[in-house]
Amino acid sequence: MVIDIAIVSLAISGALATYRVLRGPTWGDRVTAFDYLTVNLAVMVVVVALRTGFTPLLDAALIISILGFLSTVALARYLLRGRVMR
Amino acid sequence: MTTARRLGRRLAALAALAGGGMAAAAGPERAPSALDGHPVAQALVLLGCVFLLAAAVGLVRFPDVYTRLHAATKLVTLGGLGIFAGAAIAFYPMDGTPRVLLIAAFFFLTAPLSGYMIARSAYLRGLPWYQEDGSVDDWQALGSEAQASAQES
Repeated sequence: MVIDIAIVSLAISGALATYRVLRGPTWGDRVTAFDYLTVNLAVMVVVVALRTGFTPLLDAALIISILGFLSTVALARYLLRGRVMR
Repeated sequence: MTTARRLGRRLAALAALAGGGMAAAAGPERAPSALDGHPVAQALVLLGCVFLLAAAVGLVRFPDVYTRLHAATKLVTLGGLGIFAGAAIAFYPMDGTPRVLLIAAFFFLTAPLSGYMIARSAYLRGLPWYQEDGSVDDWQALGSEAQASAQES
């Protein structure tokens, strides 16, 4: 019961952040909401692992959080300087 | 059949499916989750979900980039704390606890850092912020210096 409430509220959060990604007036809003979406996806995978008891999903959550952090940093650096690294 | 009527029929089928899912979830033959029988873990997961939902509401409702960043990095760090701690407690008899703690440690290292990177590039590229009467940019004197150092490094 608790975990169903958790999954539904995470889905609503993802929908709200997707609205901000699509609507966002500037690129900063879009990058912020995209960062939030990756974190939300990792947390949702952890919650699904809790629901099913299938612990290998936790590896997927770790990979998702690493990729989300790297893509956010790369986007921020690209938008600041026009290149990711020299 | 018109498009509107077809859409209405599909929505009715979807509502019936959701109702069936709810009834099945309330039934006795529901698969047990790892969270059953851990009231502390359930409370922590619910708290984390409340904070993540508040972060999403702030992301929609706040007026500019910087306030949205405030919502989407601080609240997300606290919400991730709740959910990962709850998962670590609930997975304790199984083999998932060290991996959940690894995810939590990585998350705490990187979530404020990504927020910092976004805020830095947004300020240095001069994105507009929400202003009222009496709003002051405290960093305006430092702006040119900061931009010069950002161009160098």
